[in-house]
Amino acid sequence: MIHINNLSYQYPDGTLALDSVDMSIDKGEFVALIGKNGCGKTTLVRHLNALLTPTEGSVSVFGMDTKDKSGVWNIRQTVGMVFQNPQTQFVGTTLEEDVAFGPENLKLPPNEIRKRVDRSLREVGLLEYKTHAPKALSGGQMQRAAIAGVLAMEPECIVLDEVTSMLDPGSRGNVLDTIQQLHQSGKTIIYVTQRIEEILPLADRIVSMNNGKIEFMGTPHKYLASVESDIPAITNLMRKLKAKGFDVRDDVFAVDDAFLEILKACDKRKTETSDNG
Amino acid sequence: MDELFLSYIHGNSSLHRLDPRTKLVALMIISVLLLQTFTFPKLGMFAAFFVLLAYLSGVSKRVFVRSIRPMLVFFTFIFLMHLFLTEGDPIFQIGVIRPTFEGLMAGTLITTRFVLLILFASLLTATTRSTLITNGIERLLRPLPLKRIGLSSFDIATMMSLSIRFVPVLLDNARQIRYAQIARGLDTRHNMFRTISTTITPMIRESVSTADELATAMESRCYQGDFRTSLFELKMRAADWGVLCGISGLAVLSFV
Repeated sequence: MIHINNLSYQYPDGTLALDSVDMSIDKGEFVALIGKNGCGKTTLVRHLNALLTPTEGSVSVFGMDTKDKSGVWNIRQTVGMVFQNPQTQFVGTTLEEDVAFGPENLKLPPNEIRKRVDRSLREVGLLEYKTHAPKALSGGQMQRAAIAGVLAMEPECIVLDEVTSMLDPGSRGNVLDTIQQLHQSGKTIIYVTQRIEEILPLADRIVSMNNGKIEFMGTPHKYLASVESDIPAITNLMRKLKAKGFDVRDDVFAVDDAFLEILKACDKRKTETSDNG
Repeated sequence: MDELFLSYIHGNSSLHRLDPRTKLVALMIISVLLLQTFTFPKLGMFAAFFVLLAYLSGVSKRVFVRSIRPMLVFFTFIFLMHLFLTEGDPIFQIGVIRPTFEGLMAGTLITTRFVLLILFASLLTATTRSTLITNGIERLLRPLPLKRIGLSSFDIATMMSLSIRFVPVLLDNARQIRYAQIARGLDTRHNMFRTISTTITPMIRESVSTADELATAMESRCYQGDFRTSLFELKMRAADWGVLCGISGLAVLSFV
């Protein structure tokens, strides 16, 4: 549904933020985009809803070219975007007014807006807070509100740009659960993050960027096999065990998988020692 | 600080249920009439009218007291200015200090008028949520040819509601910046000028970046700055027309 062809982007001050990026995203896919600060992740995703348009190359969303001015509002309705700072994307004076902001811009009639607001708030689990002012909400609740605000526009694809980076661990878990539910309900998810650990169990595909270029693209397991540093603690443990001669896979990141691998390796050792003795 | 004055008080009185446009127009008419009032009996009638409406609204007295409080210094100033600077029969005289009976009359009349103005305004804000006020203003402005000066009534409504949303955020930012500067040894008591300059610079920078992020988020959600619908539907009912006719009738009578 999204095709990025040979995309390059140069900021007005001359810095080349993206350098011939090629990528396609399928409907229903969960793609995690990772990389250091300033590697071009945010610049890349801002091309997906025409906030930025390519200096060279092209981006097409459901067959609509993002350079075509007439399709901009269709594209933004199809690809919703949630940002990092919960405070600065909350435009309403109450929760329900904020969620209504998108549908109001789409010029929907009041009863349809009401239906969508209530449905989206139920989906993110905030319906009971609908008349609350933003100051009565936590950071995590505000991020889920932002997700509801995007859902109310009924997009096909949701881009989340470092949405958990300003949250405490508890709220982060809630937001991630909400995102996982959206993916299960069939939405395409593009998730930008610097935290590898939170996204490995959720993503279908990892795309890693460096200096405006795509460095790696593949499954989470393949990704782990390809990197040396900056890996989850569990993977690190498995690598150390393997180095000590244990027969374990070193590309796992989930506690349960690691547990099974270690049990298997221990059983093997036992049978080996009893065979020898 | 957190309880902003002129805030909305949730309720379901007949005043709450009136269309915001009715209340806005009524407030405008009442304000004009008040400023045309020069006698105490007439002011008394306005005061009685206010008490009746306040009773109907079911809003507690505390709310109205709170809406007057921030203006007290201003009211006192106005009153004293009139008391001492009006020519007429002196009440007493000590040097150049010479309060007059005429001044006392004028001062009382004018401050009462201002107090009543604020009270009627707080009656509007206490019974109407801010979104509905902005929606009402938007609908009232819509027939005006604002396009000629490059604006639309929707722009104005959005600006108003964003101001309401972000004023507390900016105040909060300012407070945090001040704490950060105090933590780094700024003496806020004895160094007023430095306090202001070291607080304002980061505040402006922060506000600009907030505005930038906000604009990006709004654009992402298809904000186009022209016609948009609203979650809340405005509807003029029989009661609204009744109130408007009543108020206009009063206005005509008072001019005759």
